[in-house]
Amino acid sequence: MNAPLKDKTTKDYSVFEDDIDVRNFDMRLILRLTHWIAPYRAQMLGAVALVLLAASAAVLAPVVVSRVVVDGILLPTADAAAPDFGQKALAHWLDGVTGLHPLVVACGLYALWTALWALFGHGFRIMLARAVLRGLRDLRRDLFAHLERLPSTFYDRVAVGRVMTRLTNDIETLFELLAGFGVLLGEFVPFFVAVTIMLALNPTLTFELLALLPLAALATFIFRVVSRTVYRGIRSSVSRLNENLQENLSGIEVVQLYGREQINYDRYTAINRENRHKENRAVAIESYYGPAMDSMAFLAMATIIWFGGHHVLSGAASLGSVILFAQFADMLFRPIVAMGEQWNVVFRAMASCERIFQALDWDEALKEPAHPTPLPADLKGKVEFRHLDFGYVPGSPILKDVSFTIAPGEKVAIVGPTGSGKTSLIRLLCRFYDVPAGTILLDGIDIMEVAPSEIRRRVGVVLQDFHIFSGSVYDNIALGNPNITRADAERAAKLVHADPFISALPQGYETPLTERGRNLSHGQRQLLAFARVLAMNPEVLILDEATASIDTETELVIQDALAKLTEGRTSIIIAHRLQTIREAHRIVVLTQGEVREIGTHAELIARGGVYKTLYELQVQDVKAETAS
Amino acid sequence: MACFFCALSARGPGLIQMDIARNKNADRNPLWRLLPLVHRNPWRFWGGMSLINLGRLLEAFMPLALKMGIDRMAAGDGRLAFPALAILGLMVARYIAFNFGRRYVREVGVEVAFELRQRLYWHLELMGPRFFAGYTTGDLMARAINDISLIRQMIGLGTRLLFVLGFSGIIAFVFMLHQSVSLTLLLLPALPFFAVFGWVLAAKIFNQSTIVQEGFSNLSAQVQENLNGIRTIQTHAQEAHEIRRFEDTSSHYARDYYRLMFFNSALNAWMLAITGFTTLLIVGFGGAQVVSGEISVGTFTAFIFYLGMMLSPVKEGGVMVTLFQRGGSAAARIFEILDHEPEIRDAPDAAPLDRIGGAITIRHLSYRHAGRSHEREGGWPALDDVSLEIKSGEMIAILGRVGSGKSTLLRLIVRLLDPAPGSIYLDDRDIRMLPLAQVRSQVTLVPQDPFLFATRLGHNIAYDNPERPTEEVWRAAESADLETTIRRFPNRLETQVGERGVTLSGGQKQRASLARGLIRETPVLLLDDCFSSVDTETEEFILSRLKTLRQGRTTLMVSHRVSTARHADRILVLDKGRVAEIGTHQELLAKRGLYAALERAQGRRDELTQALVAEGAVAEGSQS
Ligand SMILES: Nc1ncnc2c1ncn2[C@@H]1O[C@H](COP(=O)(O)OP(=O)(O)OP(=O)(O)O)[C@@H](O)[C@H]1O
Ligand SMILES: Nc1ncnc2c1ncn2[C@@H]1O[C@H](COP(=O)(O)OP(=O)(O)OP(=O)(O)O)[C@@H](O)[C@H]1O
Ligand SMILES: [Mg+2]
Ligand SMILES: [Mg+2]
Repeated sequence: MNAPLKDKTTKDYSVFEDDIDVRNFDMRLILRLTHWIAPYRAQMLGAVALVLLAASAAVLAPVVVSRVVVDGILLPTADAAAPDFGQKALAHWLDGVTGLHPLVVACGLYALWTALWALFGHGFRIMLARAVLRGLRDLRRDLFAHLERLPSTFYDRVAVGRVMTRLTNDIETLFELLAGFGVLLGEFVPFFVAVTIMLALNPTLTFELLALLPLAALATFIFRVVSRTVYRGIRSSVSRLNENLQENLSGIEVVQLYGREQINYDRYTAINRENRHKENRAVAIESYYGPAMDSMAFLAMATIIWFGGHHVLSGAASLGSVILFAQFADMLFRPIVAMGEQWNVVFRAMASCERIFQALDWDEALKEPAHPTPLPADLKGKVEFRHLDFGYVPGSPILKDVSFTIAPGEKVAIVGPTGSGKTSLIRLLCRFYDVPAGTILLDGIDIMEVAPSEIRRRVGVVLQDFHIFSGSVYDNIALGNPNITRADAERAAKLVHADPFISALPQGYETPLTERGRNLSHGQRQLLAFARVLAMNPEVLILDEATASIDTETELVIQDALAKLTEGRTSIIIAHRLQTIREAHRIVVLTQGEVREIGTHAELIARGGVYKTLYELQVQDVKAETAS
Repeated sequence: MACFFCALSARGPGLIQMDIARNKNADRNPLWRLLPLVHRNPWRFWGGMSLINLGRLLEAFMPLALKMGIDRMAAGDGRLAFPALAILGLMVARYIAFNFGRRYVREVGVEVAFELRQRLYWHLELMGPRFFAGYTTGDLMARAINDISLIRQMIGLGTRLLFVLGFSGIIAFVFMLHQSVSLTLLLLPALPFFAVFGWVLAAKIFNQSTIVQEGFSNLSAQVQENLNGIRTIQTHAQEAHEIRRFEDTSSHYARDYYRLMFFNSALNAWMLAITGFTTLLIVGFGGAQVVSGEISVGTFTAFIFYLGMMLSPVKEGGVMVTLFQRGGSAAARIFEILDHEPEIRDAPDAAPLDRIGGAITIRHLSYRHAGRSHEREGGWPALDDVSLEIKSGEMIAILGRVGSGKSTLLRLIVRLLDPAPGSIYLDDRDIRMLPLAQVRSQVTLVPQDPFLFATRLGHNIAYDNPERPTEEVWRAAESADLETTIRRFPNRLETQVGERGVTLSGGQKQRASLARGLIRETPVLLLDDCFSSVDTETEEFILSRLKTLRQGRTTLMVSHRVSTARHADRILVLDKGRVAEIGTHQELLAKRGLYAALERAQGRRDELTQALVAEGAVAEGSQS
């Protein structure tokens, strides 16, 4: 990755909180979408060709009625010079060939054009839908892939709901937009063809009618200006409604336990009321605008009767062309009406685009070396921290000058009061965050020189904050890794003593778990998270409070099993219960981000420092118990 | 319109089969069930409809004016001002009718959406764990967002199209009859023939739109779950696999969507073909009648316009049908949620107690979780015939292996799960006979999983009542030994907590959740393994404070540490859902049962200590 990385301190995550709203028409946003549509340009071109064909057929049908039927058959006196796009000649020729009544031939022609119109229109719509759906599917995939690879720094600060809607609703809006373009196209093409015919038939009357267009445009403009703030208000209230609901649902248990239902409901109601108010305003505005646009056709009709009538009387126009104009009157305004309708969608879609691209362009990534150094095939497991300083936010250091070395195969425990930075240290080792070069070394290799994914494949960590997915028990242990077979999963489960409870589940390893594994006990979930790491068979094993919710007996069983497994394997164990770390060769005491003490159990006790105090507290319990 | 009825006859899709009592209304058609909501504003709705229909009626006069104009033109008559002005007049009147009519009808749609949101939200507030096991958050969100907006569209636009199109079809028919009976009768037999294929397509659209909506729900749910577990996925370097999985889901969705678009478009094309064909009849036969002088050119033109009007129901019917189809399945999906009766609710004769003392009696309590009824060999019910007497003011520690039913017991006491009648008593009253609100306000459970909201730390601690004074918040923080930690944060109580508390350490999260429980100072406090991520020193500090704080009030605490249990008056050991033993620390040690074994297990460390003491490594002071 050669793109220069922005300094972390300049990242402004609040942009994800803001309601994005596009005020000015920004074609670039829409144009950028073509990047995803481009692979399907053949279908797009096909769609355009079809819509042109459909439009031509759409225009020819009324021409047959007015020029062939009315002017040619019903009132054969009329002016024969006006263009008929070859329809008269065609009808005449067909007449000659088939020998049928001219009216029947005209009907046949009419039927043909209508059928083609319907057929091509259908072809156009489905081709367009196909191209657009595929393009957006690709966009969705790209966005997902991007989000999937954003680092922890991002998810520490941005709520999942905020990025999720970009993948779901915003892309749906884009579909509306692109399908809407199809509608617009479907309206515009007949418009242009109609205008061409009208101009050819009777330019004067055409200009008289076109004079009405600015009126429609003005109405549309006013509508847009008035409705903009209202629509913005609606979008903002809707996103607040969703946010409130989402938060309420994800914390529903706390909500119910602490009796917050009423307060939350009241807050939701307030937003919902605001939303209703805004929606009603929008309805009012649209009710002024919509019927006004329909009225345009009536205005045109009056114009045609008045002006067109006088042209007919003065002989400047044929009656047939006036009838044709009357039929086209509707077509003339439809693009503007459609545009007025689409306008809102367009702006909504531009806001969606903006949100999608904002997430897609968010160039936050872990520093990846241009040429990553591979870790040795046979990892010894020497871990070295050298003067490591770290803070999540500038100005509040979490780790200060941490230096110590873990020898290959050594078991090291990290203890310390809560919030002292133990988990943070582990996160750095697993490359969840960037560290200054040369501060953490794995087998002598600076971890900043190694691809993060490689480190994570080789270093297994049982997170303090594990997540259980909905899916089967087996899925949760294998996590989609095809190399982990059912037998591997069972072996891992047996190691952590999870097999007995899993086998007792209704469907054993295939039992479905609900969201976050809520149908298991907390300890059972933790055992699964533990098993899933062992199934990876990592070369360095890190346990961050991996047995905090496990009872002592089970823990002892696990410890015995683990002792064999981790023989000669580097492992780091973080625990508050000192009993958990009894197998450790050495102990590192971390307080407020600093290494306070380091040494074997006996050494630390002898030193009489923090560890000894911690230890005595726990020993006291046992002493008290044995004394009684 | 026929398709409107197929929507009526369709039943809501049952996504998940659950053994939950369903509302008896569940069998009724979802669209009919929306009617009472619409009828909250009957005047507005039907008034609006009437106005729109009036507008349509006015529209129907336009071709008459047109006919007059054209006939005059054909006759060389120059009196064209009247037809032109008549059209303008009609335009104004129609505008007024439509403006108000549409507004009223759409306002009803907005109102129904408002009401449905309110109901859905409140309903979800009452749902229990069984319900939430069946629906993911992503799914519920999709319903609340998309389905309600589909219903609004259906009411605001769909019903308008339904009534209006039907009406304008009839008006047009009448006017056509008036113009030329023979021409009109010619059209009649063709129409039903055309309708049939439309019906078939509409039925397909209905099924497909349900599939698409479900697909969207799945997609949302998958994204949500995936991003929630992003750290776990990244730790295991499974991003590529997840991306592939997502690609599958979204391709599937795109395919389903395409099918929907295909049917929609086919319906559209079919409607167009019908229009074409009927116009053809008019042009052919009408043209012949003009030639034979039976009707005038004006009548012929007017007829074509009426035809357009009469066909508008058939043409725009596609839109209407789609709106109804999607609205119908959306309503079914909303009612599916609303039909779940709350698992846990007040008994009809529940009455509050004046004061809760805090004595808890448990009699032969057994509990099996949903979906765990056919456990295989080696399985056991979560709780099995538990009987227990807890005096007011007692502090009880609960120990037991993983999955032995500790959390289940605590959750039953707050009625987060519902116990069988007569199995749990609070102050000698069956808790099922107490209002749920009283139980939850007098019994506080601090759950095992410390969930924090993405808001300020202070708001999280004072979650039950946002009005609490700051001093109370600080006091609770102090009791949970969080005070010094908070003082170290630059923004103190205003510190923004990441989603679910991601920006806090494990112990900080747990203590924040504890503080949230302690601030309530309720007569009964249930702590579910609240010290597991906290170091011993901190735990010791909190427990000693807790002992004075909870003096005279009942406290139950689950723990895996014998050191914690030591603080309790009595210790309850659960094993495979049964009470293995109960008694004071000494009693249980003397019993040489499970607790003693547990204690011995922790005693391994003791051996080590003794060895060290022998070495003189442990200072004298620690032995006193
Ligand atoms: N993602 C984060 N963003 C900002 N601050 C964080 C983040 N994670 C942790 N912190 C802060 O860093 C400090 C150290 O946290 P860490 O999780 O490393 O502690 P710990 O030693 O693991 O504690 P515990 O024993 O409670 O798990 C804490 O003060 C915590 O609030
Ligand atoms: N929602 C649920 N649906 C189905 N089964 C459940 C559910 N919750 C718990 N169980 C099962 O009930 C049993 C008891 O669970 P419980 O959570 O009460 O255990 P626990 O004693 O709290 O364990 P831990 O120490 O791990 O927290 C376990 O076998 C668990 O799998
Ligand atoms: Mg930690
Ligand atoms: Mg539990």
